[in-house]
Amino acid sequence: MITPGYEAPTLAPSAPAAATDSAVIVEQVSKMYQSNAGPVTALHEVSLTIGRGEFIALIGPSGCGKSTLMRLIGDLDQVTKGSITVKGKTPRQARIDREYGIVFQSPVLYDWRTVRKNVELPLEVMGHPANERRDRARAMLQTVGLRDFENAFPWQLSGGMQQRVAIARALVFEPSILMMDEPFGALDEMTRERLQAELLKVWGGSESDTTVVFVTHSISEAVFLSDRVVVMSPRPGRIETVIPIDLPRPRNKKTREMPGFFHLITQVRDSLRES
Amino acid sequence: MRDDMVLPVEQATVRPALRPTSRIADLAWSALQQVLPVLGVLLALLALWEGSKLLLAIPDSRLPHVVDVISVLFTRTQGGEGPLLLVRMLQNAWATFGVALGGFVFGGVLGFLLALLFTQLRVLELSLMPYVIGSQTVPILAIAPMVVVGLGQLGAPGWVAKAIVAAYLTFFPVTIGMLRGLRAATPEAVALMHSYAANRAQIFFKLRLPASLPYLFTSLKIAATASVIGAIVAELPAGSQFGIGVVIIQAAQFYNSRPPVLFAAILVAGSIGLVFYGLVVLAERLIVGPRAREV
Repeated sequence: MITPGYEAPTLAPSAPAAATDSAVIVEQVSKMYQSNAGPVTALHEVSLTIGRGEFIALIGPSGCGKSTLMRLIGDLDQVTKGSITVKGKTPRQARIDREYGIVFQSPVLYDWRTVRKNVELPLEVMGHPANERRDRARAMLQTVGLRDFENAFPWQLSGGMQQRVAIARALVFEPSILMMDEPFGALDEMTRERLQAELLKVWGGSESDTTVVFVTHSISEAVFLSDRVVVMSPRPGRIETVIPIDLPRPRNKKTREMPGFFHLITQVRDSLRES
Repeated sequence: MRDDMVLPVEQATVRPALRPTSRIADLAWSALQQVLPVLGVLLALLALWEGSKLLLAIPDSRLPHVVDVISVLFTRTQGGEGPLLLVRMLQNAWATFGVALGGFVFGGVLGFLLALLFTQLRVLELSLMPYVIGSQTVPILAIAPMVVVGLGQLGAPGWVAKAIVAAYLTFFPVTIGMLRGLRAATPEAVALMHSYAANRAQIFFKLRLPASLPYLFTSLKIAATASVIGAIVAELPAGSQFGIGVVIIQAAQFYNSRPPVLFAAILVAGSIGLVFYGLVVLAERLIVGPRAREV
């Protein structure tokens, strides 16, 4: 990617990791749906390699297939053509091996469970003993700042707090890949920016081993969070360009004031316009 | 993942929990709030009753005074030798309640199993659903004697035959409600379970079943009152000796000489359904918990 007039800082994250160290390899993937109006191509020959511990943002207008791509990687849907490898395995095997933590746009909390019991849910399904579940859920709630709300019910919390619980639940079993489908899309701008900063802390920054695939509509969100922004375009869904975000980590309020931040936002916006 | 980091939280917007100091006062107040409107309507009904009697000059033989209906409950039966009529009626109501409860359990289990079967096998839903609906369009009055008499000849105990009639009315709302309830979990909630590689049993017991409970209890409330109607209808065919249905038949036969007895019987029959409904609401509060007030 050419970034004229902008010098990359020295702390730039490594370029797409070598194949041996990649978390996700997407090769020539196409996805077709049957609709009432005939077959629809949601994705057309998409290829993408995501490095281990990399934070990837998928951005694009509605219908560009960004959510579809995430769902295919997470084995929530099957490819029509091409192949996806996750940590050297099929997505299905990776799912069975519990490699995925997922956060949706709505928190999808089970409202008959308390906050802590919601966070314990994956551990429960995976058969961990009760006292271990409790301790790990509490530690995770501490991390997202909700330790005092462990016995509250989801409907007693604000939208931002609910989404924090969803993030705690996605990370409590330490999955190697965190997939987020517009997780902050329903939140107000203030809450949204605060949760973005929190997410980066919870994720662990550049030393993190956790790979993140983050679907978003927001350009500034994509630039602020990710190592690379994957710009997609619709009809048929495809990858337009991949823009490396060489802003230093850890990122914080100051990052949003850097000239490079604005520059990258412009760059992403321009590629979206071209698509 | 760093566990040592405590992140700031925005100002909490948690609704205040019940304040322990005033909990009893709160409960008493909320009970009063529930009872007062009901009492108000009761007074209005009494005024309507007595008012229309007065204004339209309805004779006691068509519409007795409320006082007479109440006081007849406290007359002695068997020419002054037997127990109070109220006691006799309550004994009969108790028998009807037992039949209704039996029907409620039969029908509830059957309705639940049907819904479960339908959600597992779409073919079954498509093929059987029209008959399930059709079963409810047949008048229960026509079916009750066939079931009660037929099963009686086969040697089944009387209460079983009557409970089956009650179950006939009960299973339907439960099937319909549970069909909806078992499908109430959102696709995302299910996808979440899949992402944990949960098996079918886990998805059912940790997601689908708890998600269906509010729907189940809505159905059970309808089923509770329907099963009382079913039980009373089942008591009407000749041969029954006990039950509020029998009391109603007898009171109807002597209506010309003692009208208040039939009204009293209707009053008692109505309260069976109310009590049953209340029990289901209580069970809902206990099982669904704090969510019951939200949904």
